[in-house]
Amino acid sequence: MNGTTETPRPKQRLTLLWISLAALGASLLVLRAAVAAQADPTGEATRSLWTTVGVWTAALLTLGILSFLFRDNPFYKICESILIGVSAAYWMVNAFWTSLVPNLFAKLAPTLVRDTMLPSLPESPTPIADFVLACVPLLLGIMLLCRLVPSVGWISSWPIAMVIGVTAGLKLVSSIESDFMAQVGATVQPALAFDASGSFAFWATVGALVGIIGVLSVLTYFFFSVEHKGAVGKTARLGIWFLMITFGGAFGLTVMGRITLLAQRFEFLFRDWLGIGG
Amino acid sequence: MSDSPLARLNNLDRRWIFLAMGLSIAIPILLKLRFPEYPGPMARATFNAVEAVPEGSTVLLSFDYDPASAAELQPMASALVHHCAARKLKIVFMALWPLGKKQADGTIDRVLKEFHPGYQYGTDYVQLGFQSGNEGVIKLMATNVPEQYKTDSSGTALTSLPLVAGVKDLSAFKLVASISAGYPGAKEWVQYGNGAMPEAFSIVGGSTGVQVSQLLPYYPKQMEGMLVAVKGAAEYEMLVEQKYPVAKPEVIGQGRVRMGPQLVAHLLMIALIVLGNLAMIAGRSRGGAR
Amino acid sequence: MLQRTVPIMILCLSGAVMVLAYFITSAVSWSETVNVWFNVLAAVAYVLGAGNLLTVNLEKISSQRPGWGYSAITLAAFFFMLTVGLFKIGAVPDPAHPTVHLAGDYETAASPYGWMYDWVFSPLTSTMFALLAFYVASAAFRAFRAKNIESILLLGTAFIILLAQTAAGMFLTGWIPEGSAFAFLRLDWMKIAITEYIQTAGMRAITIGIALGVAATSLRLILGIDKSYLPKGGGAA
Repeated sequence: MNGTTETPRPKQRLTLLWISLAALGASLLVLRAAVAAQADPTGEATRSLWTTVGVWTAALLTLGILSFLFRDNPFYKICESILIGVSAAYWMVNAFWTSLVPNLFAKLAPTLVRDTMLPSLPESPTPIADFVLACVPLLLGIMLLCRLVPSVGWISSWPIAMVIGVTAGLKLVSSIESDFMAQVGATVQPALAFDASGSFAFWATVGALVGIIGVLSVLTYFFFSVEHKGAVGKTARLGIWFLMITFGGAFGLTVMGRITLLAQRFEFLFRDWLGIGG
Repeated sequence: MSDSPLARLNNLDRRWIFLAMGLSIAIPILLKLRFPEYPGPMARATFNAVEAVPEGSTVLLSFDYDPASAAELQPMASALVHHCAARKLKIVFMALWPLGKKQADGTIDRVLKEFHPGYQYGTDYVQLGFQSGNEGVIKLMATNVPEQYKTDSSGTALTSLPLVAGVKDLSAFKLVASISAGYPGAKEWVQYGNGAMPEAFSIVGGSTGVQVSQLLPYYPKQMEGMLVAVKGAAEYEMLVEQKYPVAKPEVIGQGRVRMGPQLVAHLLMIALIVLGNLAMIAGRSRGGAR
Repeated sequence: MLQRTVPIMILCLSGAVMVLAYFITSAVSWSETVNVWFNVLAAVAYVLGAGNLLTVNLEKISSQRPGWGYSAITLAAFFFMLTVGLFKIGAVPDPAHPTVHLAGDYETAASPYGWMYDWVFSPLTSTMFALLAFYVASAAFRAFRAKNIESILLLGTAFIILLAQTAAGMFLTGWIPEGSAFAFLRLDWMKIAITEYIQTAGMRAITIGIALGVAATSLRLILGIDKSYLPKGGGAA
């Protein structure tokens, strides 16, 4: 399927190896289940049937995804396909119940929604105004769905323009306020720092100077309208060094994050599925 | 003439590296390796920010992450909920990520109901649930919370819930905490929440290691405290448990549990980087000698 | 006109309303209304995405292209999850309104939808991201080469952070007294210095640069100078 050109014999040996490993693993689990059943005859310590099915399903799906590390294989592809389908459906269901129902349908047909979906929906003091205003996103939403029909797909540019406009309007002021002015304000601090008793604080001063020099040198590096030669070039080089330290730190933190994710999956496999290391 | 062993490492099948990484995490988990934690300034600042909120005040906890990031963020979320409840703060839960609502529900079940059974829904805590719209949600909540959330997550009108019946905008909350895995998250809370009303409430955030670089510029002026990845979670857990111990430390101790494999895996990363460079040098020397 | 002028006008108007709401109190209610419309459209975009998924996979199945079986699995999983979620099949009834089926809780672990979330969706998503740990290790071995000053700075910083954020940091340098003249050699001290001063400075500069870029792009869009979002070709201006 993926165009590999292995000779049949090594492929058969590999298949035999996987089948043997699977059979050995299944035998060990059956043995373990039998031992556990003997130790707990009343079944008090066991899980419900659906939880057990769930744990096994999750474990097999986890192993399926991890099998990609060895090589691409049909087991991984099946798990990937399930993930795509389930993800798309999950986002759609969530969007329907958390946004479309309360924000759109509840305004277009409040009585029907109250009777069939949201019995606690409060009465609106302005139902007609709500209805009229809700027609706008309804119309825009239908236009957006027209994107799926090539002949009238151009109409989807209207709601897309609205989404872009709202985002641009939100970002324009917030980015200047929080990401520009606030950051400049945080940078432009007194270069000489003093502690609460009024004594000169050496390390705080060093930190403040490093902050000011760092921000200015990195901004110089990103200023491409002037050629990076002479004093500008040296400042830009210092800016690159600051950026390298920044990225080195970011790498270290990223590693921690990724390892944590993997550790959690191993914890599930060992403790919840196999019952070891708990 | 054959290449040196170090030079041959340049052609190493990466599956051996995968195996080494797998073992470096699996073995510490099986052996239950644990190491002491020493809280840093950011974790202490987060702890102090929550301690500074007067008893009985209302706080907003935004669960802006999904199961993919729960390994890093759930420990700090659990510790934060326990800390707020131990300080007798009223808690309003919400989520900017669809799956965040489920994470919040799980935390309520495992932490709030387990360790603080006296907390009543509607008067002590409320679950508003998820709203789509990303930063638009925060923007609207900054001026009009009831317009954004007409009902809680189970469809009950906000006017029927005493805790949130009188809430008009974000200034009703003394503290806003965002446990975030990306967009939208803590950054948007700073930009649109703190930006809209800078002095009305404090913001603290918890984030994954990947996202923390984007949040560093906001600390400590716009964000009073920040928990950085699972290490920050472990440090914060330690501070919270020291002052407010629980009967089941394993529930508020997952961060410290997950720090066990970190040491071995980090040492492996360093070893891989060093070996890779030695292999490069050996390969170059071999090429130079020829 | 319909394909170019109207979208430009919609963008300019909606953008202007959002900007004005920051400065004019009476415009705040308009921006709240526009925000609600934005939230609805964001939800409809999910439906659009699902529609696109159906189109692509159905086409693959009908034309029997290689790998069409996986498309069938994708659609089967999609329809199952969609059906149990939209119709709340097996949902736990709301105690206050037990006769209103669609008011039930469909996300609880006792319902099929909740089960799928807990035991299919959540493990798959988490494991997909967990794969990155392996690839980070592989990348560290193959790509992290100390060839010049810049890369040495990057690697050196990475080493300090990697050691300092685990117990190895305290083991190696924890014995240096905190108040002493050599306290700056402690790995935890170095990590704080790097993250709170140098890394913050670098990220602050990047943030400022991004903010200026975002503001410029937003202004260009709202003023109608940038029209890259419009459909290519066709239609009169």
